[in-house]
Amino acid sequence: MRIDWNWLRSAVLGVVLAVTAIAGAGAVEKLDGKLYLVIAGRQPVSTLDPAQKYDYAIRMMEQALYDGLVKYEGNPPEVKPWLAESWEVSDDGLVWTFHLVDNAKFHNGDPVNAEAVRYSFVRTLELNKGPAWMLQDFLAPEGIEAVDDRTVRFTLKKPYAPFLSFLPWWFIVNPAIVEANSVDGDRAQTWLNENAAGSGPFKLAKFEQGKAYWLEVNKDYWKGFPYEADNFGGIIYKLVRESAGQRAALIKGEADIVGGLTPEEMEKIAEREGIHTTTLPALTAFGLKFNTQNEHMSDINVRKAIAHAFDYDGLVKIFNGEAKLQTSPFGDAIKGKIDVAGIPRRDLQMAKDYLAKSAWPDGGFDVEYVYVQGFEEERQMGLLLIDALKDLNIDVKMTPLTWPNMVGRAAEVDTAPDIIAIFATPVSTDPDAVAIQYHPTSFGKYYGSHFLEDEELKGMIEKARNETDWSKRQPIYAEIQERIVELQPEIFGMMRNRRFAFRDWVKGFQDSPIRMTEEIDLYPLHIAK
Amino acid sequence: MLKLIYRRLLMMVVMLLGLLAIMFVVANVAPGDPARLAAGPDATRDMVETIRVERGLDKPLPQRFVIYLGSVVTGDLGTSIHTGRAVLHDLAIYFPATLELVLFSIGLAIVLGIPLGVIAAVNHNQLADHIIRIFAVSGVAMPMFWLGLMLQWYLALELNWFPLGGQLDLMSDPPTRITGMLTVDALLTGNFAIFLGAVAHLFLPALSLSFPALASIIRVNRAEMLETLNRDYITNARAQGIGPLRIVAAYALKNALLPTLAMIGLRFGWMLGGTVLVEGVFDWPGVGLYAAKAAISSDFEPIMAVTLVLGASFMLANLLIDLTYAALDPRVRAQV
Repeated sequence: MRIDWNWLRSAVLGVVLAVTAIAGAGAVEKLDGKLYLVIAGRQPVSTLDPAQKYDYAIRMMEQALYDGLVKYEGNPPEVKPWLAESWEVSDDGLVWTFHLVDNAKFHNGDPVNAEAVRYSFVRTLELNKGPAWMLQDFLAPEGIEAVDDRTVRFTLKKPYAPFLSFLPWWFIVNPAIVEANSVDGDRAQTWLNENAAGSGPFKLAKFEQGKAYWLEVNKDYWKGFPYEADNFGGIIYKLVRESAGQRAALIKGEADIVGGLTPEEMEKIAEREGIHTTTLPALTAFGLKFNTQNEHMSDINVRKAIAHAFDYDGLVKIFNGEAKLQTSPFGDAIKGKIDVAGIPRRDLQMAKDYLAKSAWPDGGFDVEYVYVQGFEEERQMGLLLIDALKDLNIDVKMTPLTWPNMVGRAAEVDTAPDIIAIFATPVSTDPDAVAIQYHPTSFGKYYGSHFLEDEELKGMIEKARNETDWSKRQPIYAEIQERIVELQPEIFGMMRNRRFAFRDWVKGFQDSPIRMTEEIDLYPLHIAK
Repeated sequence: MLKLIYRRLLMMVVMLLGLLAIMFVVANVAPGDPARLAAGPDATRDMVETIRVERGLDKPLPQRFVIYLGSVVTGDLGTSIHTGRAVLHDLAIYFPATLELVLFSIGLAIVLGIPLGVIAAVNHNQLADHIIRIFAVSGVAMPMFWLGLMLQWYLALELNWFPLGGQLDLMSDPPTRITGMLTVDALLTGNFAIFLGAVAHLFLPALSLSFPALASIIRVNRAEMLETLNRDYITNARAQGIGPLRIVAAYALKNALLPTLAMIGLRFGWMLGGTVLVEGVFDWPGVGLYAAKAAISSDFEPIMAVTLVLGASFMLANLLIDLTYAALDPRVRAQV
């Protein structure tokens, strides 16, 4: 029995050809004669409200749509004047006075004045979300005053040296727009999830949740732009959730910048014509945190033994060498960072000596290592740990967990695992931003899963943050770093580099180690073509 | 027939309630604190509590279930933590995208699977049959995720025949929203260029998603056709000199299709719940990705809503299959 299917083949081929004819690749996205730069990223932007939440994608968008009083730029990161052209602080460190530029305007043309600054800070503090934690112990809403149209004064409850270092993440909203869109007293939280009320270098053109977020150059930006490109229309942050997809999008010209490719992908893609890559130092530190109150980990000699048995070279190899071992609990860009002498490196004899001094001189116990399910590098770190601790007769049980479950376990001392893989990115270059991670106020947060209790360390951290004179703070922070290493609440791992790949026509990329994983400063970015 | 529909719809309501109760308990006893995750990594305990109270997570579980049920009945499926929007609003955007992908995939599986099953059966133990059987086995064995990546790499990146992902080219304006399914909306608004663009974007994800279903349909249809082609009435038809095409299409296929229909119903439900991998590879903004993101954020209300919608869709699809079964088979009709 024979059936002629030729007619069907012809029909299918015809449809496929018709469909594929329109699926060609474009080099640079164009709209109305303007060039648009496309960033392919994995993290959705869950809100644009500067008072609600932040992560790298949110922060990248907010910094494009809004302005702060000051801004981080450069390497090492420096706090630069932005909406505030100057400021002064009283001798007792309590009163900070900021003088605003006189030409800043919101996107709707309203002036950015001292009242808008006061309103924005009060809103963030009272909503008690997002960046509120940075200042809420030191600044009350009544301590913020619009002295005149261009002067705003902050009176702190007690001196707080890192105050200025957190201000780049407090963005100024237009009070009139916020009030107009407030529903049931929500202070426009719902509206600001997908709309903007800022004065930044870009305006929000389109917000397609789960797909793409469109920014259009704000031609009337009060500060101007550090480049001349009349044909540059804006930036599109497009969601591409797999790194293979990001790489393909860059090669095909459907994206101009991608971040976070694996080291192997970076090597391969760098060989392609028209693409270049860069690897940059970052503040993100990786550590294997011990729960210092668990049965075995409460013994400092066990902690020291594990830290000296660990294979640090193997750790860097996991990242193809694109990482730098920590020489202090503080990252390189943190002010006052020192290289702490004696920070553990692999030394098996020393590890055995420490274990011999512990309550378990011959080992013979298990420890649990918890890491993020599906995170290959963290799984490999667990394998390193298994190998390293074999020599100490300590077994490692690897437990992969989803991120919510990991955070849930790390929140309580009774459930926090013996060892947990943690990446932590401080939001400020002030040493307090890292030191506070070892203070009891951090218990319950994922990076506080060490539950380290040490009165001496706690006292030093509190003293340093309330001291305003840097010459006095600096030696305290040197002591803090040494004390943390001495207490060994974790295996101090490495600083992971940030990785980006670009099409050659992308110009203006400026890095600063303060930026989170795949965060990019969009302000100077443009296309030269 | 109407009685059957009423009975099945009533059962659906009961089953959905049960599904909702199970999901609510599972979602809430799972470790992970949604308030802490929503508050962010640096939030203080006080900030976490603010969010807990705001979202009603401080109330006892039974009370929360009652409140939730009350809301669902009034059409309020809650608010998503990770998008900050009403879940109903999110579903209205993401569900049509998934439905479009699944319908296209199942369509592809039917259009290709049934003829291939027939060809294999008609050419029993010949070369065509062997090739199709190997194809069917590989379709069942091949991971969808891997297949998607390979199709994307070769057909989209190397040959540049298709776009890499998404629903439309970035710079294309979507058609006026009517059903939420781009291909349908483009046709309804008479925008043929956008329709072709949407089909081009739909093709690779649909092909990846359809592959396991295609393989199953081929296998079932081939087996049923083989059995049917050996029946006496087919021999009789051949003896009467009826042409081979007519025997296959009009006599054998109609009977062989019944078990295939049941398979299609099962596969439809499986596809609805299994789109997440394909959506991830092709950045298809559907409920799979939405639910996956919700799951890793301990964002329970979207998870429950997605389960509810997918559960209802699965039940409806099976009801439709049963009705079709009854329409095609007089014996089934007589039992209703």
